[in-house]
Amino acid sequence: MVELLILLLKVFVVMNLALVLGSTCTWLERKGSALIQDRVGANRAGAFIYSENRFVNVLLVPLRMAGWLGFINTFLCDSLKGIAKEDFIPEGSSKFLHAMAPVVAVLPIMLAFGVLPLAPDFYAWDYLVHARVAPIDAGILFVLAMGSVAVYGIALAGWTGNNKFSILGSLRAVAQMVSYELPMGLVFVSLIVIYGSLDVYAMVEKQQELLWGVVPAWGVVYQPVGFIVLLLAGMAETKRGPFDLPEAESELTAGYFTEYSGMKFLLFWLGEFCEIALFALLLALLFFGGWDIPWVSLPKGVWWAALIGHAVLMAKVIFFCVLQIVIRWTLPRFRYDQLMNLGWKMLLPVALINLVVTAVAKVLL
Amino acid sequence: MDPISSYLGISCLLFTIGGIGLCLRRNAIVLFMCVEMMLNAVNLAFVAFSKIHGNLDGQVAVFFVMVIAAAESAIGLAIILSVFRSVASIETTDAAELKW
Amino acid sequence: MSFMEFVIAAVGIASAIGVVGFRNPLSSAFSLIVHLLAVAGLYALLGAHFLAVSQVVVYAGAIMVLVLFVLMLLNLKSESGRRIGIIRSAITVGIGLVIFLAVSGPMLAQFDNLPQATLDHNIKASEGGVKAIGELLYSKYMVQFELSSLVLLVGVVGAVMLAKRKNVQLTPREGGLGGAK
Repeated sequence: MVELLILLLKVFVVMNLALVLGSTCTWLERKGSALIQDRVGANRAGAFIYSENRFVNVLLVPLRMAGWLGFINTFLCDSLKGIAKEDFIPEGSSKFLHAMAPVVAVLPIMLAFGVLPLAPDFYAWDYLVHARVAPIDAGILFVLAMGSVAVYGIALAGWTGNNKFSILGSLRAVAQMVSYELPMGLVFVSLIVIYGSLDVYAMVEKQQELLWGVVPAWGVVYQPVGFIVLLLAGMAETKRGPFDLPEAESELTAGYFTEYSGMKFLLFWLGEFCEIALFALLLALLFFGGWDIPWVSLPKGVWWAALIGHAVLMAKVIFFCVLQIVIRWTLPRFRYDQLMNLGWKMLLPVALINLVVTAVAKVLL
Repeated sequence: MDPISSYLGISCLLFTIGGIGLCLRRNAIVLFMCVEMMLNAVNLAFVAFSKIHGNLDGQVAVFFVMVIAAAESAIGLAIILSVFRSVASIETTDAAELKW
Repeated sequence: MSFMEFVIAAVGIASAIGVVGFRNPLSSAFSLIVHLLAVAGLYALLGAHFLAVSQVVVYAGAIMVLVLFVLMLLNLKSESGRRIGIIRSAITVGIGLVIFLAVSGPMLAQFDNLPQATLDHNIKASEGGVKAIGELLYSKYMVQFELSSLVLLVGVVGAVMLAKRKNVQLTPREGGLGGAK
C-alpha cells in the first residue's frame, strides 16, 4: 500500500515536471522567436492591470511584470482560448479515431518520461528513493519503443482528417519519423556498447568520473559523432527545427493538424513541446553527464545533493530546449527529398560507422 | 487451473481467432494481419513455456520468430503491392483467375 | 490470475476479435496494433522484459507502420462485393471453435501432470533482461543468429525488387504489352 502511494506520488511529480517543461518551452518559443526575429512578442495581456487602491496597486506589480513578459498570455490566455473554441469533427471519418489521435500522439511521450531518472538516488528516512517512476531493465529501449508508438497518433490524425492535405502531411511525417528512428537506435546501441548497460541511471552514474583526471567522462567526450547524430535524428523525430515540413504552416495548410481545433490541437501542440523537453532530457542524461557538475563531487545519497543534482539537470535541459528553439527559428526548412537523403544516405551510414568504431575501440582499449 | 495454463489457453484462443479470420476475410492485407496474429499466439506459447522450464531458450525462439516475421511482412506487402498494380484490387476473389 | 493479467488478456482477445470482425481494413489495422501492445504486456507479465520492448519496437512500431502505409497509399475502402453470408460465417466460427477445443483441451488437461507446471519457478527479472538473452544468442544460437541476418538481407533486397515500378514499356512488336506507337 505504501509502495502504491509512493508510486502515485512519483507519477504525479514526473507528470507535473513533463507538463511544466512543455509549457515553459511554449513560452520560450514565443518570446525566444520574438527575440530572434527582432520583435517584442506577447506582452499585452495582464500588463495593464491597474487599481485605484494604492496598496493593491503595489501588490499588482508582479502580475504586471508577468503580463509584460508574456507569461499570462501564453499560460492563461492560450489555454482558455483553446478550451473555448468549437470542437470540430470532420464528417466522413470515424469520430472515435479522430478524438483518439491526440491521445495516441501524446501518451507515449509522457510514458517515456517515466523511465528517465531525474535526480540521483537519495535516502529519505532510511528509504532509498529512486528518482524515476519505473526502473525498467531495458530503459533506453523503452524510450525508442515509445518513439515508435507515437507515430500512430500522426497517422491517425492525418487519416481521419479526410482531406488530401492531411493525408499527404501525415504520410510524409510518418515516413520521416520512421526513417530517423534508425540512426537514433544505432546511437543508443553505441551508447550501450560504451556503458555496458541499458539502464539510463547506470549510464549517468558512469559519467560522474573524470577521464584521465582532467576531462569529465561525459558521453559527448566518448561519442562526439553520436551526439551530433542524435541531435539531428531527434530533431527530425520530433518534427522540429529545419525538419518540420510535415507541419509546415506555409506549405501544406498545417499538414496533419489541419482538421484539429481547440483543445485537441493544443494537446498535439503540448505533446510536441513535451517531446522537445523529453529529447532535451535524453541529451542531457546520455551525453552531458545528467546531474554531474564537472570537477565537483557531491556526497551520494544525501537529499540536498539530490536537489542540487536535479537543479543542474534542469539547467542542462533548459539549455537544450533553448538550443532546439534557436535552431528552429534560425535555419530554413529542408525540402522533403533533402530530408530523406539526410536520414538515409548521411546519418545512417555515419551512425553505423560510429557503432563499428565504438565496438572496435571498446574491445581494443 | 493454474495461471500458466491460462496463458496457454489464451495462446490457443488467439491462434484459432487468427485461423478463423484467415478463413473468413477476403482482403489480402487483413489476411496478412491474421497470419501475424497467429505468429504472435505461437510466440506467447513459447514465452509461457520458457517461463515454466526456467530457461531462456523459448525467448530466443521468439526473437527469431520476430525476425522472420519482420522479413516476411516486408516481402508480403511488396507482393500485395505488385498484385494490386496488375489487378487493381486486393480482394483475393478478384485475383483468383489466371489472366486469359 | 491477477487483475492486471486479466485486463491485458481481455484487451488482447477483444482486439483480436476486432481484427477479424471490422469491415474497414484500417480499423482492423488499428485493432491489431492494440493487440500487439497487449501481447507485449503479457510478455512483460511473464518476465520477458526485453522481448516485450522489442515486440513494441519491431511489431507495433515498424511492421504495423508498414501495413498502415500500404493501406493509406492504396486508399482502400471496405470490402465490396458480395459479403459472406451469415450461415457460412457461423459454420466457419463453429468449426474453428471445435478445432480450438480439440487442440487445447487435451493439452490443458495434461497440465496438472507436469511437475513444474506453476509460475513459482521463475526466471528472475534480470534474467529476462538483455544480457542473458545476448549471452545465449551469441553462444548457443550463433548459427541461427547469422542466418537470420541473412534472411533480413534477402528480405530487404526482395522487397525493393518486388515493389520497384518497372517503367519500361515494350511495344507489342517487341513482345510486350505496352501501347503501340
